[in-house]
Amino acid sequence: MTTTHPKNPTTHPKNPTTNPSSVIRTRFAVRFLHAMKKLNKKTPPSRRYHTIRAAACASMASAVGPRRAWSRAILRKIRARTLHDHLIHKSRNHRLITRRKSAGLRGNPRDQEEVGFRQEDDLRGLVPGGEGMGFCRLLSETAHYIKCLRAQVQVMTNILDHYSSS
Amino acid sequence: MKRIIDSSFLPLHHSSIFLLCLTSQSLSLSDYILNLPVILTLYIDTQCTHSLLCLYVSSRKREKSRMDQLLVNEASFTVAINQSSYSLAELLSSGMGGGGGGLGLRMGSLGDDGSGVGEVGDVSLEQSTVTYQSVSRGGNGGGKRRRGVVNFIEDDSSKLVSTSSDNHDLNESNGKRMKASGSRDEDRGSKTEAETNPLNSIKSIEEKSKPEPPKYYIHVRARRGQATDRHSLAERARREKISERMKTLQDLVPGCNKVIGKALVLDEIINYIQSLQHQVEFLLMKLVAVNPRLDPAIEGFPIKDVAARSFDANGTMYKSQAPEECGQGTQTEWPPLQVGSGFENEKHDWESR
Repeated sequence: MTTTHPKNPTTHPKNPTTNPSSVIRTRFAVRFLHAMKKLNKKTPPSRRYHTIRAAACASMASAVGPRRAWSRAILRKIRARTLHDHLIHKSRNHRLITRRKSAGLRGNPRDQEEVGFRQEDDLRGLVPGGEGMGFCRLLSETAHYIKCLRAQVQVMTNILDHYSSS
Repeated sequence: MKRIIDSSFLPLHHSSIFLLCLTSQSLSLSDYILNLPVILTLYIDTQCTHSLLCLYVSSRKREKSRMDQLLVNEASFTVAINQSSYSLAELLSSGMGGGGGGLGLRMGSLGDDGSGVGEVGDVSLEQSTVTYQSVSRGGNGGGKRRRGVVNFIEDDSSKLVSTSSDNHDLNESNGKRMKASGSRDEDRGSKTEAETNPLNSIKSIEEKSKPEPPKYYIHVRARRGQATDRHSLAERARREKISERMKTLQDLVPGCNKVIGKALVLDEIINYIQSLQHQVEFLLMKLVAVNPRLDPAIEGFPIKDVAARSFDANGTMYKSQAPEECGQGTQTEWPPLQVGSGFENEKHDWESR
């Protein structure tokens, strides 16, 4: 990436671990904190929760990058939403966008082949972008998604504790 | 011993080899091994290399170094062996009959020594499958001394062994190969294994007779009683992929190891993901509540501290250790990342990469 995106782990003083989860944690932490910093100045308190949640999702997805299907799905959703927001006054475009968005996100529905109908469906509903992929791929995406969710929880817990203590 | 070797030079028939094997059993192992290279060279010429594998190594007296030597010798012959693909089958079937029983390719000792070390991995071993039946049955009737019989199953050859040679290209060029045949090494002693092997070997022969599939073919082993056509093999490969992924998921989710069965494991996973997501929401709400205090404190924020912390995110909130007092104001100016319009920036980021 050419843009000077904050803190790669290498620019830090030596990290004790450079395993993938700590890399993700660092990246997410940086982006999220940055987003929060900007968020405080901009949004009114009424929509704060909504914006901070969007910021968390977006920073997580961008920390992961477009390598994973679920992060791509989140980024797509965000882009579609911003486009949607910007073009909402043009009704024709609005309709177009909503149509395209639904087609893109839905993908081709797969049959419930594997275990029970319920589990596979639920899993697809939970993992972002889980609609349009096969079961095998869904499982690997789920594994990565769980790792990143865990990292997210850890970072946010740290931030909270840091704030509450200082 | 020398006498035997000389005598076997002349007829170059399998029966002689057989005799050789039998007699060698009475000799000490060291004698046998030393004479091994001679025997091996002998057979390469005649393209009866498989007979080499008749080397009956007594399980009692094996030494690993010897085995390695043995393997090295045999591995070097692989190229020659390759050409003699069907020769052994023909030869054996023509000649031996009952004598073939003695030819039990037993490298039992080798198998015990190390995973897959015992097997002389040769591609051509596949062809010996037909005779295997008689061989294995006769071999198993042999009894106790033949513990750890490793019937060379063809298949194992690919995986093998060959520590020294690269048979890999040879192996891949063959038809369906076995994967994870190393697990079979442990089953060696069992009779059932020996008996299923002939069937498998026969199947592999049939498969080999097809034109060689391209190298990217999925290598799956055909088990006893299972269909070997492409579709079911592909399905089996797919199922194994899925089960492998389920295993990684089980490792990720705590408490999933005790659960057995795909449905229950998936239930656990779903619950875990839901709990993680709820946790994120909860933390976000807390953050929003804390937020007004953020501005003054955010300057010297210890990123490293925050990111390096490892917590047990098991659905419970944990107290942190005291955060370090690090003035990480060494951080450079953060590039602007607007929240509202920042999504577009992020879009540009990724697109520029």
